[in-house]
Amino acid sequence: MKKVQFKSNYSQYFFLAPQLLILLIFLYWPIIQTFRDAFTMQDAFGFGSQFAGFDNFLFIFSDPSYFTAFKFTIIYSFIITLITGSIGLLLAVQANKVMHGKSAYKTLLIWPYAIAPAVVGVMANYFFSERYGLLHHLFNNLWGFNWYENVFDAYIYVIIAGSWKQISANFIFFLAGLQAIQKTVIEASIIDCKSNIRRFWTITFPLLMPTTFFLIIINITYAFFDTFGIIDTTTIGAPGSETKTLVYKAYIDGFKGLDLGSAGAQSIMMMIIVLVITIFQFRYIEGKIHYN
Amino acid sequence: MKKLISIFVLLVSFAFTSNSYSKTEIHWWYGNSGFLGDVIIEIANRFNESQDEYMVIPTGKGSYEDNMAATIAAFRAGDQPHYSQVYDAGAAIMVAQVKNGVVIGFEEMAEKYGIDVDADNYIPGIKNFYADGDGKMIGVPFNSSTCLMYANMDILNEVGIEEVPKTYEEFEGMAQKILDAGYIPLLQSHSPWIWTENFFSRHNLLMTDGNNGYDAVPTKTLFADTEAFVYHWTKVKEWYEKGYYGYKGRAWGDNQAPFTNGEAAFWFGSAASFGGMKGVLPNFTTNPIPYWDSVTGGKEYPTFIGGAANWILNGHTEEEYKGLAKFIEFMGSPEMDLYYHNMTGYAAVTKGGIELAETINFYRASPYHKAVGDQLGLEGSTIPGGYRAGNWPQIREVIYENVEPMLNGDITVEKALSNMDKGAAKLLKQFAKTL
Repeated sequence: MKKVQFKSNYSQYFFLAPQLLILLIFLYWPIIQTFRDAFTMQDAFGFGSQFAGFDNFLFIFSDPSYFTAFKFTIIYSFIITLITGSIGLLLAVQANKVMHGKSAYKTLLIWPYAIAPAVVGVMANYFFSERYGLLHHLFNNLWGFNWYENVFDAYIYVIIAGSWKQISANFIFFLAGLQAIQKTVIEASIIDCKSNIRRFWTITFPLLMPTTFFLIIINITYAFFDTFGIIDTTTIGAPGSETKTLVYKAYIDGFKGLDLGSAGAQSIMMMIIVLVITIFQFRYIEGKIHYN
Repeated sequence: MKKLISIFVLLVSFAFTSNSYSKTEIHWWYGNSGFLGDVIIEIANRFNESQDEYMVIPTGKGSYEDNMAATIAAFRAGDQPHYSQVYDAGAAIMVAQVKNGVVIGFEEMAEKYGIDVDADNYIPGIKNFYADGDGKMIGVPFNSSTCLMYANMDILNEVGIEEVPKTYEEFEGMAQKILDAGYIPLLQSHSPWIWTENFFSRHNLLMTDGNNGYDAVPTKTLFADTEAFVYHWTKVKEWYEKGYYGYKGRAWGDNQAPFTNGEAAFWFGSAASFGGMKGVLPNFTTNPIPYWDSVTGGKEYPTFIGGAANWILNGHTEEEYKGLAKFIEFMGSPEMDLYYHNMTGYAAVTKGGIELAETINFYRASPYHKAVGDQLGLEGSTIPGGYRAGNWPQIREVIYENVEPMLNGDITVEKALSNMDKGAAKLLKQFAKTL
């Protein structure tokens, strides 16, 4: 390969500038602003701004609904990751086996991925409406479903709403992962082992590990951040504050409550949580994965 | 040829738009949508047609909360509108912003720009709600509502009830009959607004210390300390368990829908709610909200003014404020006030509007419009006509968060109310630090 060398020492900055500028304006500047908000006390219009130290952090830590939101976010992302991952994998394995009309199945299963979370929420709203909701009636006949007051029922509501679209994302990546596995490996394994299920767990699934790892991160990030629109269009955090995610709580406090200090502190806490989870994943899980 | 035509069309349209540039533009942001938003656009159009010096450009920003957040963001970016609609829960924040030069008080326009304003045009109760501690009017009253009781008269006739209840005791007495006939006796759409804030005003009780925030910055709410309030929620919980009261979540519409569909006998909502019911529900009435006879000793007190006011924002030219003053004058004229009252159900806010309504016998033709004025016009209250408590949008959230576990039995009424007090006290303290 030929090494490309720029003559000037500065021209690379010139070419990088547009990218860096976008990063600076849309990423770093807001982050700096968030830090400023988190450590100051100010009114909604930005007046009376004064350094507050860790007051805003103490404020959120003394708020019981912050811990409720924290608990819910953890449970929610765990369940969403589990459900979307396993159903996505199941569908991908089945779709991979199909001989006729493969692309039709594929297209239909991928479609929901294109729908915005808020729209998914509005659709879930219809399904769970007490007046004309199909699922509401089904669950109501089974055990007296009422998400307005029952935490468990509200969880079911937001988990179904939150999983549906994300199953498609998992499906796509798992299918791509399956198709990338070399035919020869599969054929060789068929000679060695007759059991489909055993072959899947000992050969196919380990080869899918990079995809699985990637999807776990994607799913957790999705449950953390992208379900905002779903919560806002379904339970709006009810009952109590049991179905508020951390992002949704920061939004309510920052934009509806106009308390930027508290919202800023919550954003920073969220940043730390995501950082910890990601470091944990890369250190302890990634080591066990074999990239080809 | 096609190209030529399109260039021509473009030029012509430029000619027309440039025509509007010669007018002084006044931006008005609002937080109503649907029909109420359409009426706002219509008001602006009528003003724009009535003269050709100024042009009011209304922009809808979504809900009240959305509009307030948008206005604040715009101000921080130096791009604020001239006039913005902010709701009752945000009034404390807006009044506090006069000293920072964000908001220009309505009466301040006279001092600052020598513009003639007529604050006495507005009825005192409504005017005071949006005034500062000295009684100087800051916000301009616009869509002023309050909570009312809607009654489905067909259901009442069916079960043999002749008169709508005036008190909660009367309601309690008839609820079983309604329930037995297969209807939901009572629904309401906003626990913090109807059954908290306006519970206090309806019973002439103080909601926060510092005289509802009018005398001093409030530090706590008086929920658990107010015996009548504890009693009320104990009753509500009892009704909920018996099926007298049905809770359908926090969404306004979900609680209203069963009433509109003829499944509930009573529903508490806003004075401006009946637009969607006319023509759907054949026989309904609007009535003052009930009160506990045992608490007030038979006396009735006015509720707080809900809805929103328009606020004048700083940072524009004198010429533009002159136009805005003209627009405010136009909206405050008896005809426009009555037009808005008639279209939306919001209260008439000017003395002229009320007089005009009487002159033309408006309430005989449309009895739905009457209850709001009756309830707001009650006299004898010893508490202020509103509350000045910061962070109130979040306090409303705290109230909601505790009502649900209270209803489903996770926590007791006393615990829920003291949780609300605790949450509110923290938020009030937080707000006091920013003053």
